[in-house]
Amino acid sequence: MMQEGNIPVIAVQADTIPRAYEQAIKEVWEKGISVRTEYDRPGDPPSRDATVMIVVHEPFRQPRFHRSFADGLGGLAEYVMEVVHGAHDYWVKPLEEILKGTESKDTRWTYTYHGRLFEYRIEDEVINQINAMVKKLSETGFTRRAQAITWNPKLDPPTEDPPCLQRVWGRLCEDGEEGYIFNMNTHWRSRDLFKAWFENVIALTTLMRKITEAIAESINKRVQLGRYVDISDSLHIYGSYFREIEGDPERGIKSFFEKLRGRSFEERTWHSDFVKPYFIDDGLGKGLKPMLEREKDMPDPVKRAIEKELRLMEKEDHIV
Amino acid sequence: MSIFEKIAEEVIKGQADSVKDLVQTALSEEISAEDILNNGLVAGMNVVSVKFKNNEFFIPEVLVSARAMNSGLDILKPLLAEANVKARGKVVIGTVKGDLHDIGKNIVGMMLQGAGFEIIDLGADVPKDKFLEFVQKEEADVVGMSALLTTTMIYMKEVIQALKDAGLREKVKVIIGGAPVTQSYADQIEADGYAPDAASAIDLTKNLLQQ
Repeated sequence: MMQEGNIPVIAVQADTIPRAYEQAIKEVWEKGISVRTEYDRPGDPPSRDATVMIVVHEPFRQPRFHRSFADGLGGLAEYVMEVVHGAHDYWVKPLEEILKGTESKDTRWTYTYHGRLFEYRIEDEVINQINAMVKKLSETGFTRRAQAITWNPKLDPPTEDPPCLQRVWGRLCEDGEEGYIFNMNTHWRSRDLFKAWFENVIALTTLMRKITEAIAESINKRVQLGRYVDISDSLHIYGSYFREIEGDPERGIKSFFEKLRGRSFEERTWHSDFVKPYFIDDGLGKGLKPMLEREKDMPDPVKRAIEKELRLMEKEDHIV
Repeated sequence: MSIFEKIAEEVIKGQADSVKDLVQTALSEEISAEDILNNGLVAGMNVVSVKFKNNEFFIPEVLVSARAMNSGLDILKPLLAEANVKARGKVVIGTVKGDLHDIGKNIVGMMLQGAGFEIIDLGADVPKDKFLEFVQKEEADVVGMSALLTTTMIYMKEVIQALKDAGLREKVKVIIGGAPVTQSYADQIEADGYAPDAASAIDLTKNLLQQ
């Protein structure tokens, strides 16, 4: 029995992303410690919180999509483009404004994951850390040095909303059949389990597949996707979500867990085949096509990358 | 099952193609566009709205249903205009200047539309002049503002002041929402109402327009 004040440490293993998501919510809800956060509003109960490692054995196994997340499918597609292709890197404010920290009146963003992973700025240089990972793993698959970081110790501590993702790490292992398996771990400082984890993982596993494909092309050998591991120092359910998690029987509002129990697993998830048309265009102004039409200021190379993604999605065998 | 019930059922299930087909069938049976809208599409979205409020539906499912409703509404729109059918009320909605988060605002917009309101969605990062322009031009009954950041929610006060300065404040109800927003903040900036979630925003809008 751990002494009070120790943060619980939880491990979750599942075959698919939705299974992992549901198990993690159950575990953190039941075993998490009560801790306050900087984002609590007056009257909010403390968050439920734990240090958590989640293993997804087959990140692209179906059903890949849980139906519980705080956006639509078109919005999720746009978020994936933000992480993988830098769709919103142009929303980041200039360096002089970032350096003002909380004094800055400019409400644009201070970073994007794509910006930090693909264009990390240090000593007047811009480093594409993902390309470096691909290069390193192509040369020495078993290396333990292939990683990409996000944290900037100068820019991040003074801001209101510093990056949650800290590090992406990968390693190539032989599959015993003359091919390789790409294993990827992501490390997170802090994480909103209930409303952000699932979308984060869809984006990060899409990035994982891009890295896998790039290594395969570089070494001209078969490289398959391996397990995805997701480690959070603080994986939490915010107090402001408790009403949604607990429900309100007097007002006929179901708890989150009743909602899960009331449906089969198939009825609370979606397969990639169902999701794909919504990723292309959700019919409500979101998705790759509307995004390209709407975001006129998006730089041309990013637009071209998203157009390429669209062409891939239009192929029948491409899984989102 | 009547054609209205079938349309409502397909809206609930989020089957856009079936909704389109059923709306066409209903029109071919000489059912009026207004009846198809109210008894089929809106009836279906009302069920979705109640299920969402009772925590039986997930957010993406609401949007999938909204897409299905829109696919039927697109067919009906010219006919409704021709027949001069009025919406339940006109709502101008947007995320305030400096804020690019639009998820909450989109869900509220979809659910209000599903409840029979006409939505003029100004998008995200909306300056006060744009709110004023559309409130005036569209003769809106309600203006809905959303913000996800403590640094941007303060702009709501500026929009309300701008409405006052333009002599429009008494003509339009102002509702606000978003993660950092509270009832106490709504009172402080003299908004007419605050909604903690999308389902409450529908009830709030209906109540304000009944006053």
